[in-house]
Amino acid sequence: MKKLTLAVSLALCVGTAYAQNKTIQIAGFGAKSGVVRSFGVNSEAALLAAADVINKGGGVKLADGSKARIAIEFYDDRCNAEEGISVIRRIAGTDAVVAVGPTCSNVAEPLFGILQKKVGDASDSGLQFPVFTDVAIKVGLAKISEWAFRNVPNEMTMYNSLFYWLRTTHPNAKTVYGGVEEDFAHSRATWYLVMKGRAEASGFEVLGNSKWLLADTNFATQVREMKKANADVVAISAHPFTTCGVLKEMQRQGVKPKLLVGLTSSSSLETLQGCAKQAEGIIIPTSFAPINKEAINAAQSTAKFKGNADLHSMAAWENMFILKNVMESEKITGTDVQGDRRKIRDGLAKLKTTKGLIGVSKRDAEREADKPYLFVHAKKGEWKVLYNPL
Amino acid sequence: MLDFLQAVSDGVLFGATYALIGIGFTLVFGVMHKINMAYAAASVGGAYCGLLVLKVMAGAPAWLVFLGAFAAGGVLGWMVYLTCFHFIPLSSPLATLMSTVGMLLLIDEVIVHVTNGMPQNYPLMFDDVMLRAGEFTLRGDLLLVFGVSVLVMIGLLLLLYHTRLGLATRAVSQQPVAAQLCGIRLVRVNALTFVVTGLLGGIAGALIGASVGMLSPLLTLPLTVKGLIVTVIGGLGSVPGAIVAGLLVGGFENVLQLYRGVTERDLYVMLLLFVFLVFRPGGIFAPKSGRD
Repeated sequence: MKKLTLAVSLALCVGTAYAQNKTIQIAGFGAKSGVVRSFGVNSEAALLAAADVINKGGGVKLADGSKARIAIEFYDDRCNAEEGISVIRRIAGTDAVVAVGPTCSNVAEPLFGILQKKVGDASDSGLQFPVFTDVAIKVGLAKISEWAFRNVPNEMTMYNSLFYWLRTTHPNAKTVYGGVEEDFAHSRATWYLVMKGRAEASGFEVLGNSKWLLADTNFATQVREMKKANADVVAISAHPFTTCGVLKEMQRQGVKPKLLVGLTSSSSLETLQGCAKQAEGIIIPTSFAPINKEAINAAQSTAKFKGNADLHSMAAWENMFILKNVMESEKITGTDVQGDRRKIRDGLAKLKTTKGLIGVSKRDAEREADKPYLFVHAKKGEWKVLYNPL
Repeated sequence: MLDFLQAVSDGVLFGATYALIGIGFTLVFGVMHKINMAYAAASVGGAYCGLLVLKVMAGAPAWLVFLGAFAAGGVLGWMVYLTCFHFIPLSSPLATLMSTVGMLLLIDEVIVHVTNGMPQNYPLMFDDVMLRAGEFTLRGDLLLVFGVSVLVMIGLLLLLYHTRLGLATRAVSQQPVAAQLCGIRLVRVNALTFVVTGLLGGIAGALIGASVGMLSPLLTLPLTVKGLIVTVIGGLGSVPGAIVAGLLVGGFENVLQLYRGVTERDLYVMLLLFVFLVFRPGGIFAPKSGRD
């Protein structure tokens, strides 16, 4: 009897060991070289940190009841569309069941275009591979393919709410002037399609806008235009390098609007590192701030993997936990790669809500998220919560 | 009219940064008849190295950071010479051109990896100085860059025409074989040219960092393009030409930006380059003689 018990125990141990050796591969991709490298570095760190937490908690439960560890491999797309397409084709050739990325909207847009548009369309030879975007934020991209999903904040909602809040809390502020980084997909789209319209909808008069390019270094002319407009609110839709350049030029020329509004992507460490003094007071809507225990833990875990927690990297963190739940609810096998990819896609498509770090996100029919948000402002070299509309 | 004058003065003053980069390009070309595509990247690299001073000594004065950039620029210049010119046959112009393009990308990517591409705050010099005449203003920091450009030009001309090294440099520039027969060590002169342009590049990078207020890897490519345009328009090998062309290009692009917008601005700068290439290929100050 003892021998039988020992044999059963050994068999169970071996079985458990086998299950523990099972691995579910998830690919991450984004910019890890070039000037937006920090985005890729932070996303990778968040993915690794989340996978570490999941694995320490036992991993992902598979259809046969066994558990599998999550393995992350991160690919560099250099924020380049051709590179991004090549990367996703390479990932599709591996055992990865889903990919999280990319960083840049100019990569996401063409990349979603090579995915199969409608699921099950035999006449469409596009890639049948689920992509769950964490960073690329340009409005309305996931509708390109039914294999594309995003967990990025809805800027339309955020800026609508922000301008409405500004209008009600600062009734003396009546006019807005914009500054836009003209050659970057996200900043351009956010000013022309989001900020401008949302400001007008909230009762602000938009007096005009100045334009500059991503690599510009001289903003004297643009800031002079800004100064002439003498608007109550200056809204800068640009990434940290030029945001800081413009803020420094505004300081030189003595342009002091009543309120400063920034682009979502600028609510990062980069802006504070580049121009904390000049950015003092700038208000930005964001979908992440360490406002609760879970968010603080996520930020600390990501820091252990040498990444910073911001609205983008923490979306990658959230994606991992959403994917874990989907993999378990859809009962993926861990052996049938293409079958599991389809199950994950279908599982993501079914989601109506997801649990995020600062609250529950709604998901719409176009596979986009409507994430909770709050307004932060730069104060003494840190991002502090200014208003939480939740 | 005031807008026009302001745009011209803003542009001309900012053009001083292009002039500083152009001087480095033109000096190497003048001596070796080679284009060092890595020059602007090495200059920005030198400026980044200058920031190490702040890591070692928090709160160090700006001039010390500039001094660090100056020294680091010299070292980087020598390294560029060693890797892109010394061991590569100079008889093949394409080989050195491509090696310096590779070095440009390498330096750029090293900066990106070390800093994660994050912009770095740079110590400012005379940033709070603003000369005003009514609505018309002039930036103090850009006046400093302009002044340094002029001083550098005077210093280089003194070096070239009043020192033994300058004599050797000119000899190598005009007749390298004859210069060697006269006992001038070609390798040493070439290496020293790179060290001198590197030192200048370090200070140029630091001044650019100070005038922009930040350093970013985003700076290297536009500075390389502008530096080359300035070198061609000024006249390959002409130091005064690089300064005049730098100011000209800076003023021209700012005026075009005022009237045609930022999206068309660079089109006209390129058009200006083509006009020079077609009608005055030697540039504004084309040297009268060159290497045989």
